[in-house]
Amino acid sequence: MTFLTGIALAVALLVVAPYLAHRLRRKRADEQPFPPARLVEPAPPKARRRSRLEDRALFATRSASVVALAVLGATPLVRCSRLSLQRSGGASVAMAIVLDDSMSMRAQVSRGKSRFARAREGARELLASARDGDAVAIVLAGAPARVALAATTDLGAARSAVDAMAESDRATALDDAIVLARGLVSSLPQVDRRIVVLSDLADGHPDAAPLGDSSGVPVWIALPELRGAMADCAVMRADRSGLRVRVALACGPGSTAAGRAVVVESAEGKELGRAQAPQGATAELAVVLPSDEARPARARLAGGDAISADDVAPVVGETPRSAIAVVADSTDEAVATGGAPIVEQALSALKVDVDIRPIPAFPERTEELAPYLGALLDDPPGLTPEQRHALGAFVEGGGLVLVALGPHAASAPLGASLEPVLGHAVGWLETPSGGADPASALGGFAESARSLANLDASRRAALAPEDASALEPMVKWTDGAPMIARRAVGRGEAWIVTLPFSVGASDFALRPAFLSLLDAWVRSARERAAPRRGEVGATWRFPGARTVAAEGPSGTMTTSREDGVVRLVPPLVGEYRVRVDGKDELRVAAPSARELDLRPRSVAPSAAGEGIGERRASVDVSGQVALLLLGLVSVELGLRLRSRRVEAT
Amino acid sequence: MRDALRPIRGAIDWGELAPLRLRARAVAEGVYAGAHRSARRGAGVEFGGYREYVPGDDLRWLDRRSLLRHERLIVRQFETETDRAVCLVVDASASMGFRGAKAPGAKVAFAAVVAAALARIALGSGDPVSLAFLGGSQNAAPVARSGGREQFERVIAALEAVVPGGDAQVDVGMLDRVLQQLSRTARRGAIVVVLSDLIDLPTDAALRIADIASHGRVLVVVQVLDPTEAEFPFSGTVRLRALEGHAVVETDADATRDQYLGALATLTGTWRDAVLRRGARFVSVTTADDPVRVVREIVEAVR
Repeated sequence: MTFLTGIALAVALLVVAPYLAHRLRRKRADEQPFPPARLVEPAPPKARRRSRLEDRALFATRSASVVALAVLGATPLVRCSRLSLQRSGGASVAMAIVLDDSMSMRAQVSRGKSRFARAREGARELLASARDGDAVAIVLAGAPARVALAATTDLGAARSAVDAMAESDRATALDDAIVLARGLVSSLPQVDRRIVVLSDLADGHPDAAPLGDSSGVPVWIALPELRGAMADCAVMRADRSGLRVRVALACGPGSTAAGRAVVVESAEGKELGRAQAPQGATAELAVVLPSDEARPARARLAGGDAISADDVAPVVGETPRSAIAVVADSTDEAVATGGAPIVEQALSALKVDVDIRPIPAFPERTEELAPYLGALLDDPPGLTPEQRHALGAFVEGGGLVLVALGPHAASAPLGASLEPVLGHAVGWLETPSGGADPASALGGFAESARSLANLDASRRAALAPEDASALEPMVKWTDGAPMIARRAVGRGEAWIVTLPFSVGASDFALRPAFLSLLDAWVRSARERAAPRRGEVGATWRFPGARTVAAEGPSGTMTTSREDGVVRLVPPLVGEYRVRVDGKDELRVAAPSARELDLRPRSVAPSAAGEGIGERRASVDVSGQVALLLLGLVSVELGLRLRSRRVEAT
Repeated sequence: MRDALRPIRGAIDWGELAPLRLRARAVAEGVYAGAHRSARRGAGVEFGGYREYVPGDDLRWLDRRSLLRHERLIVRQFETETDRAVCLVVDASASMGFRGAKAPGAKVAFAAVVAAALARIALGSGDPVSLAFLGGSQNAAPVARSGGREQFERVIAALEAVVPGGDAQVDVGMLDRVLQQLSRTARRGAIVVVLSDLIDLPTDAALRIADIASHGRVLVVVQVLDPTEAEFPFSGTVRLRALEGHAVVETDADATRDQYLGALATLTGTWRDAVLRRGARFVSVTTADDPVRVVREIVEAVR
């Protein structure tokens, strides 16, 4: 407070002046004629009446006027607790507001007020300090970072955009958001550009580089009260398997759910079972249900922590489709292995937790494929039209098929083919290559593909060029031909291996990559069949789907389409009922483990606000105070008029 | 109470009671035409009832039987058809110039309207009318007893010319002059109507005025008060100045309201008792009352 401010505020001491004036105003009563005055006994007014203020409302108004006058004299030196833009030379400003709508922003910053609510309030304050000509862009930092409002000078639109924003359970993508924001404002004509970050900076990487240091546009990390480490635990998933509900818990650094109960409830809120959470940052426990008829709806972590939204997860049941159909020539294989075909033995050895059901021939009816997650065909001699129809319906509906091509496939009888997996005939030719090219391996095959470098195989299946081009190779032969490949068919996938699993044809089945192949394929099949569980904020794609409708925790969701593929982004944790081309499926959005870490990232010194002249600024409220003073004067005039009328009557 | 702060002007504050002539005619026409009968009780042929004896009554009409039976002096009355003079006495002292906030006009203006209406009624019945003022300015000239249409104009002119003034507390002869005039002009059977606020008159004024009712005269005392005087609507600390007697009182109105109203009731009661004891009539009105009702009440009291 400066000397002038003190002097101005000292004017407020003059508030005693109206009191003294009112005391002095209590002059002797006006003399008035009254003929029978001699009949009236003189009575001195009581002391209490003498000391009483005659018009309290008038006195209060005058006192308030004096105080308002003092504040008016002190402004704009009065500091108000609100964000505002400081501008150099009065020039227009281009501002990008990065508003964090991740799940960590659900933590309470004060009683009943979340970090997100405070951040949104800060955004409103910033917009209130903007002037005509200022450009504003808004970027949301919940993963994936996205533009909520492109740069515009329409401040009304910006306010509407801020008002429409809601909390979400997404992860945090602060760096991406700042990059987006920088891109939005860097091309604007305003010379004075800045990025204002309204976030708790809890993106799960507390040790990462300080925020706001590398941006070309000055960054102001505002609202330090949003930051602060807090304890939080979450229910990551809850799956029902028979009478058990397996619940996975995760906690942020330094916090534990030990001692807290996990309660499984029905949709009506009735408790069906509970268990105590064990020690540890991550834990998995099982809650036993009372009967098969119990219908658990959600698993809830009792007790409170920083974020309550992630303490509940929907309980989803495992799919009834839990078997793999294996079509292999057991007679040939039995000679080599002395038992079941090698592929069956490999699947059993992997303990993939699914039933392996050898079937003599591929089913001819779609209904017969209903119990299967996927179908594995080892060197099939083509498929009859009925089998092809059943396979097509199975794959189109999301099923997964693995076809190992061998000599039988190349000598398919007349009328038999492998459509819709392959559109053309397959040849069984001598291979010019001695093995796989490890460098061509994708995903989970990167390590195991080395085991395929030197295969003992004289022949391999040769695909028609049209079929080869339609496939996505996962492992290639050294000559570039696909060894393991896949292609999307409808909502399902078909995996192709150009070698049969028979040890008579090659030693492919004896290499570690063979197990990797089976493991990846079974896992993919399970993921497709089981309720899809993905991280909240991650995009769900529906390739091949024509119509997709979804119902989530926040109601009906809108889908988008990119490159002809329908996309859906779940913003909240919970279960989503998706209807894809008339077929219902259940998907679950699970919280991001990174959001449980509420430790904030460090802030670059230049982003603290001081360096770029932006901070909690002094706000000129002279206009408002002057209006208040004007109103008080009007009230005083009204009171005096009323007082005169009262006296007149 | 801002109107109460207005200085008492030299002329009458007529307010809503002006113009006097038209107002008086309207009031008179509003009164039942046959209300005034020139019937007086006294020597005559038709028995008119009994009443208490008052000093000055003709002892010939003393009812001896009643005296013997009830040990009370009772006189017999007889009705006779004759003209009856109406003597109007209007208090025009300074206190009658008062007009409160709720009043349509000053007290003297109200009294003038009532007096003029009574004069018109009496003159319409062929009875002579005279007018005298209690106090008032120098030009408050009394009107001698006379009849006819011109007399009404003379009464109106006198009432319009009077200016409230005079202090009965200081001018002790003010009342005497009127009483002497009345004793000369009001003969037996005359009707005397006194219109006054009765506030600042001397302490013996009640008895002296009540004595007018002797010698066969009919006396009606009309107390005219302003609503402010009747209700005492002040609040808080007030400083009150009497218009006669120079009394100034500062008081807490809320605390002394009941005391004042009691004192006023006592004053009015004193007058009422004194007047009624003489066989006269007493009417108390305020200037907010309907003049027609007041005149009708006076006429009824005279019958």
